[in-house]
Amino acid sequence: MKRNKFVVIGSGRLGSNIATSMSELGEDVIIIDAVDDSFRKLQESFSGYQVVGDATDLTILENSYIKHAKTVVITTDSDNVNIYLAHICFYVYNVPKIFVRLSDTDKGKLLEGTSIKAIYPFNLSYSEFMDLNDEEETL
Amino acid sequence: MKIVITGGKHEADYIVSKLKKEHHQLIIINQDRDFAEYISSNNDIGVFPGDSTKAYVLSDAEAQNADVLLALSDSDTDNYITCITAKKLFNIKRTVAKVKNPKNVELFKRLGVDSVISSTYLLAQTILNESSVENIIKTLSIEDEKIVMIEIGVEPEHHIVNKRLMDIKFPSNINISCIFRDPHVIIPKGDTLIKAEDKLIIVTTPNDQEEIVEFVQKRR
Repeated sequence: MKRNKFVVIGSGRLGSNIATSMSELGEDVIIIDAVDDSFRKLQESFSGYQVVGDATDLTILENSYIKHAKTVVITTDSDNVNIYLAHICFYVYNVPKIFVRLSDTDKGKLLEGTSIKAIYPFNLSYSEFMDLNDEEETL
Repeated sequence: MKIVITGGKHEADYIVSKLKKEHHQLIIINQDRDFAEYISSNNDIGVFPGDSTKAYVLSDAEAQNADVLLALSDSDTDNYITCITAKKLFNIKRTVAKVKNPKNVELFKRLGVDSVISSTYLLAQTILNESSVENIIKTLSIEDEKIVMIEIGVEPEHHIVNKRLMDIKFPSNINISCIFRDPHVIIPKGDTLIKAEDKLIIVTTPNDQEEIVEFVQKRR
């Protein structure tokens, strides 16, 4: 089985931009969202597939080539759904690279013992603030 | 036992009232404030209002080291997260999740939830068991439907009558565990002869169940 697909779950601002960029870089991208309208955020240069459906339904995941995924990026607006999907991708489908966005840094503990990588907007904003604040003070 | 019950409405209320009578230590967490108050006043017991998928809520409720956690909310995903948080971070021994989608029964178990309950799944299993079976056959499922025990009555025209077990080519994955020949109970060996009116107690798997029933009922 060849793993060559790049799957994005959740077509919000982050998901749709990652999907567009990876598509521009030549990846075979599949993006899933429960709401058809969400795909409007994709740029014109996106040349991958769009799947409308609830990704917590395994049929939708399998129709989105999850078994052939080398990378999955999970960016729905619910931390609980994101962790649940990450666990499914890791334990059931053995996807080699999994990235998941989490608002609540505490929830990261549920990823211990896996190779799932978490992205925390809170941490990024916080350190950005500290850096910007430093710059202001050194001026 | 120390039992944690999260989410749920009337099912939570019912279970709380049952378990309270048996003097268990109950920790009840419910996100719906109105319902939390209802359960609390109905059963004269404290209820923590809060979202049980958050670790600090389980921590505030002192759920650590509980024997069992029941996750009864209407969201399958939330019940999963509650159970996994309970297991990974709070050393809760056994977790039970209620699910709406019957397909999640197998999936949740695979992901580490100890027991998964779906009323639709149970209903379907019951109907399947009842329907593959005519009135002369009784079935009993054990180990979460992985093993079934069936009882089949042998009729005079069945092809296996007056044959020794060793001479009958039974399908694989079955075991004739016991023969009931009123009033005797026989634990069969290869040379045991099957007679009309015997009741065969057979252990098999749900997948092989239909084949063995058909096989036994083949006529001469």
